[in-house]
Amino acid sequence: MKTRPLSAVLGSLLLGGLLALGMHGPAQAAKWDAKMTPQEVEATLDKKFAEGNYSPKGADSCLMCHKKSEKVMDLFKGVHGATDSSKSPMAGLQCESCHGPMGNHNKGGNEPMITFGKDSTLSADKQNSVCMSCHQDDKRMAWNGGHHENADVACASCHSVHTAKDPVLSKSTEMEVCTSCHTKQKTDLNKRSSHPLKWAQMVCSDCHNPHGSLGEAGLVKPSINETCYACHAEKRGPKLWEHAPVTENCAACHNPHGSVNDAMLKTRAPMLCQECHASDGHASRANLGNTGLGGEMGDNAFTGARSCLNCHSQVHGSNHPSGKLLQR
Amino acid sequence: MRFPLNMITLALLAASAQALAGGYSLQNANTDKVKFDAWSCKGCALETGTAGNVGVGIGYQDSDDIRSANSFGSDNEVPYKLDADVRHLTESGYRTEFSAENLGMDNGRANVSTGRPGSYNISLDYRSIKTWDSNTVVSPFQGISSGNLTLPGDWVYSGSSDGMSGLAAASPFELSLKRERAGLGFDYQSDSPFATYVNFQREEKSGIKTASGSFFNQSIMLPEPVDYTTDTVEAGIKMKGDHGFLALVYNGSRFSNGYSELTFDNPFHPTFGAARSGTMALDPDNQAHTVSLQGLYNDGSNQLTGRMMAGQMSQDQALVTTGYRYSLPTDAMDAKVDLLGMDLKASSRISKDLRLSGSYSYSDRDNQTQVEEWTQISINNVNGKVAYNTPYDYTSHRFKAGADYRISRGIKLDGGLDYRVDERSYQDRETTDETTGWARLKLSSFEHWDIALKGSYGKRGGSEYEASEWTSSENNPLLRKYYLADRNRTQTELRVTHSPLDSLSLDFGVRYALDDYDATEVGLTESKDLGYDASLSWQLTDKLLLSSFYTHQTIDSAQAGSSRFGAANWFSDIEDQVDVYGLGLAWNDLMDSRLKLGLDYSYSDSSSSTQVRQGITGDYGDYFAKVHNVNLYAQYQASERMALRLDYRMENYKDNDAANDFAVDGIWNLVGFGPLNHDYNAHLVMLSINYRL
Repeated sequence: MKTRPLSAVLGSLLLGGLLALGMHGPAQAAKWDAKMTPQEVEATLDKKFAEGNYSPKGADSCLMCHKKSEKVMDLFKGVHGATDSSKSPMAGLQCESCHGPMGNHNKGGNEPMITFGKDSTLSADKQNSVCMSCHQDDKRMAWNGGHHENADVACASCHSVHTAKDPVLSKSTEMEVCTSCHTKQKTDLNKRSSHPLKWAQMVCSDCHNPHGSLGEAGLVKPSINETCYACHAEKRGPKLWEHAPVTENCAACHNPHGSVNDAMLKTRAPMLCQECHASDGHASRANLGNTGLGGEMGDNAFTGARSCLNCHSQVHGSNHPSGKLLQR
Repeated sequence: MRFPLNMITLALLAASAQALAGGYSLQNANTDKVKFDAWSCKGCALETGTAGNVGVGIGYQDSDDIRSANSFGSDNEVPYKLDADVRHLTESGYRTEFSAENLGMDNGRANVSTGRPGSYNISLDYRSIKTWDSNTVVSPFQGISSGNLTLPGDWVYSGSSDGMSGLAAASPFELSLKRERAGLGFDYQSDSPFATYVNFQREEKSGIKTASGSFFNQSIMLPEPVDYTTDTVEAGIKMKGDHGFLALVYNGSRFSNGYSELTFDNPFHPTFGAARSGTMALDPDNQAHTVSLQGLYNDGSNQLTGRMMAGQMSQDQALVTTGYRYSLPTDAMDAKVDLLGMDLKASSRISKDLRLSGSYSYSDRDNQTQVEEWTQISINNVNGKVAYNTPYDYTSHRFKAGADYRISRGIKLDGGLDYRVDERSYQDRETTDETTGWARLKLSSFEHWDIALKGSYGKRGGSEYEASEWTSSENNPLLRKYYLADRNRTQTELRVTHSPLDSLSLDFGVRYALDDYDATEVGLTESKDLGYDASLSWQLTDKLLLSSFYTHQTIDSAQAGSSRFGAANWFSDIEDQVDVYGLGLAWNDLMDSRLKLGLDYSYSDSSSSTQVRQGITGDYGDYFAKVHNVNLYAQYQASERMALRLDYRMENYKDNDAANDFAVDGIWNLVGFGPLNHDYNAHLVMLSINYRL
């Protein structure tokens, strides 16, 4: 079972960095993969896990062979290698906390161990069960059944622990990682207006929890509007004169990922406003723009400048006693 | 009857946990035979001391439009920055980390954290984001960046903006906004199941944004001062067990605005009501508090997750009285909205290959603000009209049921049914309901291919639509507001990933969505969204990596209106288009692994065209934004520890909007900011030195 291709994309993204650090290209699949099918590997690992034949000396048993690997030893640069923290794997079953009981793996390295990431044949489910045994908290409570879990994304598709600092946590690469799969959003953030995502001044995780959430679209707050209010608290009110769709859903008018219109509006004014306002009088008129018969887009206050907002400036609500028409 | 049922449930749960839990969770590890006494971890090479990277950079930019600073992160001619990623570890296990990205630029961030992993941690954060719009916009007002915009003493009033001779002397100002955030966080955990944390953050936002003030049919674009302060606190207690956890979390936010009102002189000849100045109420100070209790139970096969949330948003800012000559029912609103939310989600692994899940979410916005009588300033300034505020309530219920089934290793089918009901007060439709069915098939059983196909169909209906019940002026009875209207939504998406070689990965996707508002005669009637994209990542040689992508999207919308308060007699078609192309080349390991060269290029072209037909056809002219971005870089490892990097960045940007391509006095009854279009080339060269500690 292969995990999501995200790992492949992330792999190539990070490849440059790894090469620069003097490491080799993509790791080869494990020794046992040449001789066993993924099903056999999984069955062996299940059996080993149940038998619990852990090594005689813990990490020291493993390092007898693996200490030559820079990648292995990099574990000790990060928190997963902290020997004096009671929460670290090193305080418990050490290497075997994550890689499972050694069993007979030390006899030539042919017996499978639990492995992670792009070259592991183990299902994302099984890989993740290891990580989730410690990382189960309010920020990851919706992982199970969430968008990424459903798509078979393994924790190790994005994260690495054998490092001083997990590269996916860097804000400068986050956009590339997320948009390698979320291509619709990649298109959006390159439109005329968008949140400042293109140059990573804002990042996806400012609004979305990649581990899922109980709210819509994995948003960090319980609702769309509360997520928006986290940065746009001035729109929260409650104001004296409310604009109904504003109180219900900011995304009724805006596409937060970007739009071909200014201000991330789904449609430009006056068209957007006229999708809901058709009372007798100026709101119901056809604003023709450039007609070639004398009329021009920029020669009148109905289509020119801010269009409807030239007068109804307070579209997000007004707190003026005379603000019913959202003019002041 | 309760007892046997519970016994059976327990027995089933226990059996399924043993048989199906699978996974390698530490809680299920069989550690009976481990002799921990012999586990001394002598080889664990904990590196104490200081390690990491520190870099400084200095650059020079050449730009004739301040908008380019959005891409370059600074509008300084000579921008400078500090990048760092440093950690210090003591023998006793005390860990301190410092990281910085572009610190010193207008868009930068930094973080310091210190503590003992697994015990406590204190962190300090700083982040700034600045966005620039223009510094060539002009305004005739004095007192820009204040709450009182006045005209020069010698202002020549006129009934038409082209008669205002003072507009020739209108002065330029910068339309930009800057946010600066600082945060302090503390978390603590011990060997007990409890952990606690508290985070405080202050954000200050300052600058100028665009507003408009109006007098009957005359309008003035106004520079609105922004001086916001938002303080947020999040604190929580978490309790963790082998099979789940509970968390009690408080969130508080307090917003204050340095300006409560914006008063502006009327540059036009006073007409109706003889108003010589106007006043807008700016966003009022407000606060919001929520408490939530969330928890999870997981026995390996079954998981139950829940959250209950209660909160309140409130606002009691003194009402604006400047220029308002009527009596107020109250000096300040006691505006309050109660929030209540509940989420419950259960999933159960019925067998190794089948999982069922279901969820229910409830969210309620109950606006408790009192309804009062408010006199509205009207054209006839002698007798104001009376209006009542309409505090909106909104309640939503969402139900979801789903299943995912692994047909075989590499073939997975999942699908579900979503149902939602939304209830609203004071609106044209009391309730709407929507049912959506969806299915997705994922194939990863082929050696070099991954294929995913997803489709969904949703139907929205609701209670009787009463177009004019709550509107002040009667709405066309045929109007259906798009967010309340009947809607049939069809969506489909196909994604294919092909990896013919270890070094080559190709990705292709296409998606199509159709929103059909089948009961709408006036309003938005249809929207079609077609998008496709392709990307490639190819390790051409050991040293050369090529990546490229292309995406396209077209959104076609149709709308109908009626100028005679009856059947539709005008129609509009809006076509939004975007094309984005990107190319990346990275040469690594040149000159004996000392040199790295790279090129990143991207181009995007987004545009929208609007056509309106009513006998004759008009259009909304050019409305596009085209941008080329280039980043060329070379990184040279001068010594084992020191690397030099040179970046050249270029942005070529052009946009247009026929609605804003006119002079300050281009519209007779409007005083504008002048043209807002951009057309520039900007360059940045930056040299940085990175030192590995």
